[in-house]
Amino acid sequence: MALSGMRGLSVFISDVRNCQNKEQERLRVDKELGNVRTRFKNEKGLSPYEKKKYVWKMLYIYMLGYDVDFGHMEAVSLISAPKYPEKQVGYIVTACLLNENHDFLRLAINTVRNDIIGRNETFQCLALTLVGNIGGREFAESLAADVQKLLISSSCRPLVRKKAALCLLRLYRKNPDVVNVDGWADRMAQLLDERDLGVLTSSMSLLVALVSNNHEAYWSCLPKCVKTLERLARNQDIPQEYTYYGIPSPWLQVKTMRALQYFPTVEDPNTRRSLFEVLQRILMGTDVVKNVNKNNASHAVLFEALALVMHLDAEKEMMSQCVALLGKFIAVREPNIRYLGLENMTRMLMVTDVQDIIKRHQAQIITSLKDPDISIRRRALDLLYGMCDVSNAKDIVEELLQYLSSADFAMREELSLKAAILAEKFAPDLSWYVDVILQLIDKAGDFVSDDIWFRVVQFVTNNEDLQSYAAAKAREYLNKPAIHETMVKVSAYILGEYGHLLARRPGYSPKELFTIIHEKHPTVSTSTIPILLSSYAKILMHTQPPEPELQNQIWTIFNKYESCIDVEIQQRAAEYFALSRKGASLMDILAEMPKFPERQSALIRKAEDAEVDTAEQSAIKLRAQQQMSTALVVTDQRPPNGMPAQPSIGPLSLVKVPSETVDSQNPGDQGLTHPNGVVYKEDPQPPSQDIIGDLLGTLSIEGPPGAVAQSPQSATYEAEGAPSAADAAALVPVGEESGSVQPIGNINERFYALCLKDSGVLYEDPNIQIGIKAEWRAHQGRLVLFLGNKNTASLGSVQALILPPTHLKMELSLVPETIPPRAQVQCPLEVMNLRPSRDVAVLDFSYKFGPTMVNVKLRLPAVLNKFLQPITVSPEEFFPQWRSLSGPPLKLQEVVRGVRPLPLPEMANLFNTYRLTVCPGLDPNPNNLVASTTFYSETTRAMLCLVSSQLFIESSTL
Amino acid sequence: MIKAVMVMNTQGKPRLTKFYEFLDFWCVVLCSRAENVSNFMEADSIFGPDSRLVYKHYATLYFVFVFDSSENELAMLDLIQVFVETLDKCFRNVCELDIVFNYSKLHTILDEIIFGGQVLETSSAEVMKARISLKLYRISYQNSFWLEE
Repeated sequence: MALSGMRGLSVFISDVRNCQNKEQERLRVDKELGNVRTRFKNEKGLSPYEKKKYVWKMLYIYMLGYDVDFGHMEAVSLISAPKYPEKQVGYIVTACLLNENHDFLRLAINTVRNDIIGRNETFQCLALTLVGNIGGREFAESLAADVQKLLISSSCRPLVRKKAALCLLRLYRKNPDVVNVDGWADRMAQLLDERDLGVLTSSMSLLVALVSNNHEAYWSCLPKCVKTLERLARNQDIPQEYTYYGIPSPWLQVKTMRALQYFPTVEDPNTRRSLFEVLQRILMGTDVVKNVNKNNASHAVLFEALALVMHLDAEKEMMSQCVALLGKFIAVREPNIRYLGLENMTRMLMVTDVQDIIKRHQAQIITSLKDPDISIRRRALDLLYGMCDVSNAKDIVEELLQYLSSADFAMREELSLKAAILAEKFAPDLSWYVDVILQLIDKAGDFVSDDIWFRVVQFVTNNEDLQSYAAAKAREYLNKPAIHETMVKVSAYILGEYGHLLARRPGYSPKELFTIIHEKHPTVSTSTIPILLSSYAKILMHTQPPEPELQNQIWTIFNKYESCIDVEIQQRAAEYFALSRKGASLMDILAEMPKFPERQSALIRKAEDAEVDTAEQSAIKLRAQQQMSTALVVTDQRPPNGMPAQPSIGPLSLVKVPSETVDSQNPGDQGLTHPNGVVYKEDPQPPSQDIIGDLLGTLSIEGPPGAVAQSPQSATYEAEGAPSAADAAALVPVGEESGSVQPIGNINERFYALCLKDSGVLYEDPNIQIGIKAEWRAHQGRLVLFLGNKNTASLGSVQALILPPTHLKMELSLVPETIPPRAQVQCPLEVMNLRPSRDVAVLDFSYKFGPTMVNVKLRLPAVLNKFLQPITVSPEEFFPQWRSLSGPPLKLQEVVRGVRPLPLPEMANLFNTYRLTVCPGLDPNPNNLVASTTFYSETTRAMLCLVSSQLFIESSTL
Repeated sequence: MIKAVMVMNTQGKPRLTKFYEFLDFWCVVLCSRAENVSNFMEADSIFGPDSRLVYKHYATLYFVFVFDSSENELAMLDLIQVFVETLDKCFRNVCELDIVFNYSKLHTILDEIIFGGQVLETSSAEVMKARISLKLYRISYQNSFWLEE
């Protein structure tokens, strides 16, 4: 036994193994921890051997899942032991128990460094392993140079160098500055010529990390990667021990192809040709074989090759070859390959032109939905969701519905959400959509969120053809003995609104409708009762001539709920009761709901927000780009200028206000006070606390339609205004028509943020996002404007004019007139500072979206402090300079009184963000801050600027 | 990058755990999975976003690797195989008991294969060589605890 050298440890492990249950194990472990703790307390009496033994025990206990919150110091101290066995324990246990932020690690940096630069290869390996596993920023700063040396040293053995490569990778991740791009790019290329496969594999991992951050600097490595791939896949020029089940190092092949995917394209035609030759060879030369391990390895390479082909956007022929391969994979016996086949097919959906080929495999994919493996079922669901469009929606959604009854619990929520989204986006006709959603609620009511049934109500309300159909369907579902509460809600709502359309059919008389809805009443929760009450009120209203018996029944219910503890229910009951006694005016007030304004589905938006997984994200993105089915466009209620057709009606008010004259018709009833104090008031412009608006509040996606037109645009902006005019709004709409496009976020705040940093968003509205990236060098600057079209339609008549103040010279490159859908264009803008001034440049930007012309004027963050460059001065320089400045205009002094002083560190931070270097310790008074900087302009050249801020605390206020 | 390596037995007892990135929770239900299904599991809910899990079942042990999307799933599966084959060479027909009593050796071998979450060595022959060279070095010390098999 390997550990028999430490009998105590073996005994302990045996004891733990022999424990009958978790409780016994805990007792045994606690006893041991107590023992170790006592022994560590008296460290002097501890031999290195004993220390080693106890530290191993700690690791074992830690691995069993217990907290080990002591003894870290002992583990770390073993690192500096002179002998291998203790040192090794120290390194291994430290790497497992501690993380990079642990304070004790700092104590070890020196020892670790000595081991790395020492001559002992074994110690080097141990030290590199520790740093590579848990090294943090401090390690990066103090060890990176040594590690680099080891990696490129010709005297080191591969055993050490391969560890150095990965160690450097870790340090680079912790602090990217440790690898100097200029010097390292050539070295990296040389490393890729390495013959030793171990070192080459590690170097390739390092390259992947480097190119993922900055591929431009490592262009020279690209042909080397292709060479490596040729060497492995084509020439099989590789030592025997690196072939794995006959495949030349699959890991290195995979890593190399990963690295290649970080380069945007392969430009050199020769390199491109050789790369495609190798890829072709991989694609064609892989077969499914009996040996599982060989299969895995060859397919690892193959799937990576597929990803690379997709990335390189190969010719269509090669793409269809890939899809054909994937089609083969999703039907094979080997589950791993089925899984990856489905996953990669989902990725493939992003590639244009292959969707149709993928659709040919639909039947097979649907079969995978019934795979015994849940991992595969999930992938199949993703793929079906991604590939669905108008042509196959009916089949796919119906499959999903069918699958819903047998699906695992864990998948049902996702499944129903996806089915609902697909049904909405791609419905061939509306009645089908209603069928699908009702089935969905019926089969998986628990997993159907409110958004889904709200959406169905919206569609039914907005499409008259659908109303009687939906009512009939709802009635059918109510016949079932046990239905989900959501079904009660949606059926009650639809029957209340549209039940009367079917009044002539047998079984649809008001009385019968009421009875069938009211049957469900005892089973529902408080959230449903308000809907039932509304529904009753509507039924009552539609009963013409009134039936006294029904009226009494319903009034009894209203009466009962007038004293309900739930305010919503109580209010409704009271109001409906009062309203229903009004006779004819009831007809007007409770008339049918107006149509909903068109809006994005909350469901789809939620789905877009929620999904983060890469494969899914791609599917979602694709969704967004696809054309929606035209059947389901909510009837557009608005004239093209975006103004609502019925501005006086809240979008969700169940109570339709026929005119604004309710009050004048019934002057006596303006305020209807009830015994229990509920005041009813008819407001022609229902605010958000609308009678029913609250209940259906989530339906509201836009604000009340009146708000857009009314939003105050009183803020003004002067183009010549100084930046200190803090309250000047940066945006002024030109003319009325731009009133309908509102900026997202506060333009002023965005501007001020950009004054302090060099990249960010300058402006955003629902159609466009304008981002800025800037670089400043002395008196010159280079800004890049990123104009991103957020829509699926192009933006036209794009115009950008720069209105520079007199002190700035600005040149904007050509701005294209149209921005294609979902595209971003970059427009560089050169800036030169002629002389100091506080004026600000303005960007006059306009575009046309549909019929709407939008124009905004935006301040550009080319402000004074951008032309500052921090500089540090010594006391010997500062004070003579300071004194030599005599007074205005060269030296200005300002005393600000009566303000609460900013804490000193905050003040210093503020200075630094303005590029004024705070020189600590320069002024002996700790309450004073001294800072220096250089200002650049063409006329003044570099100009030293000094700042001194002094804080006086006045003893009395007056 | 590889985020974690775990070895556990069919009763869920951990036999080796090594984290290359901080993961605050792990508890995996593998035993309920049938044989002849794929070796992949969704791990986002357990280990946070962008996590994949690959496992392989050998007799009484599960070998589990958790990693992110920058690694190739099948290549990870191959790496488990390399790890196990190396253990096999080291212990001559490795079994759970070997691993229980020699977890220190397990750590040494793993450190030769995975380094800071990256693949270090993929040839089990090379791993053995590295181990032998360390072993030769140790013989010069009297207090060696690697009393070899």
